[in-house]
Amino acid sequence: MTTKIHISDRVKALFELKISNIAADLEAPGLKSFCSDNRLMDQDEVADFSHEIESLIASLLGSEDPTNLKSPEFHAIEVFFGNLSHRVLVRGGHIEDMVRYTKALQNTLIEVLEKKSGIPFSKSQAVWLYLDDVFNELIMVVFGAYLEERERTLQAQQAELRETATPITEIWDGVLTLPIIGTLDSSRTMLVMEALLNRIAKDHAKAVVMDLTGVKNIDSQVSHHLIQMVRAVQLMGSHAIVTGIHPEIARALVSLNIDFNNITTRASMADGLKEAFSRMGITVSH
Amino acid sequence: MSISGVHLTRIGHGDFLLDPLKSLNIRDRDRLIEEITAYLIQVRAVRLFYDLSDLALIDPLYYSWLEFLARAARAVNVKMICIRMQPTAAFALSRFLQETPTFQTAPEIDGWQE
Repeated sequence: MTTKIHISDRVKALFELKISNIAADLEAPGLKSFCSDNRLMDQDEVADFSHEIESLIASLLGSEDPTNLKSPEFHAIEVFFGNLSHRVLVRGGHIEDMVRYTKALQNTLIEVLEKKSGIPFSKSQAVWLYLDDVFNELIMVVFGAYLEERERTLQAQQAELRETATPITEIWDGVLTLPIIGTLDSSRTMLVMEALLNRIAKDHAKAVVMDLTGVKNIDSQVSHHLIQMVRAVQLMGSHAIVTGIHPEIARALVSLNIDFNNITTRASMADGLKEAFSRMGITVSH
Repeated sequence: MSISGVHLTRIGHGDFLLDPLKSLNIRDRDRLIEEITAYLIQVRAVRLFYDLSDLALIDPLYYSWLEFLARAARAVNVKMICIRMQPTAAFALSRFLQETPTFQTAPEIDGWQE
């Protein structure tokens, strides 16, 4: 069974248009949105992508069913808008720039097509509705790109934060320090452990001072990961010294039945370093 | 000195290095332990350094082999020290380890301290 969709004469006329040489006219919204104060692009770049837009729109309107927003021709426009949005956002542009550009492009497109063909498309509600459908979808693509870019930025910031929150430093030949700051969760403990073990192997570290002064909370799972980390350090032949355990953490570890018999602990990082140096036969004099 | 599956080298006065070969069959544990301890007694060994550098993973079976060898060595007054354990192996081993191992560990032969 096939569904017959009624298409108005003006919309039919729009689909029958042979679109060519409109790229220069389509540049105006791009120049206004991306080349004015914010200088996100230069004029040549806008001219380039306006040609691409012309060809994509010509393909869509000339396709078998231009109203099908799942067609490969429409998908090509979506990909183009997705890439353009990423380009604008990466260069410091705002989502508003892209949304305004997309709406302005819709208006310009109607004006240009009307001028070239002499058919009053702007007077047709059906043409407006059709183009609204197309451009609303494209605005959704712009929002999708914005969310992706935002997610990517957040992940990059989180990775950077993780790295800066657990800086492993070789404070002396063969002595590593690892001040742990913030909340330790299982995934972070695993990341720290992986980085620490690789660093021990790389630097042939003989002692590792793990400072928990900045750790305020610890739960059962994390405390076991912590003990696992200490064990792994010891298995690689390094001395593990845990320092800066807060009274609350000490109480939590005791109530969790964590065995500290084979773990060297010291009150502060300074004491931990002294212990590491003394184990390596290094004397520090004032 | 070669015992099937391992290579033993004297590296100093009383110190020996054990290199496990690809052909090491830890399921033949009893025979291997007898032969290794017999050799350690014969050469008056004091310390046995077990090189783990080629082992990316230590599973419970291999750990149990290391434990048995370390205990047997201790029975003949030889201290066993595992050296060059890989990060992946240490990570895997620390996950199932419940007690302190009988053997000691060191990053390198010269990195070992009493």
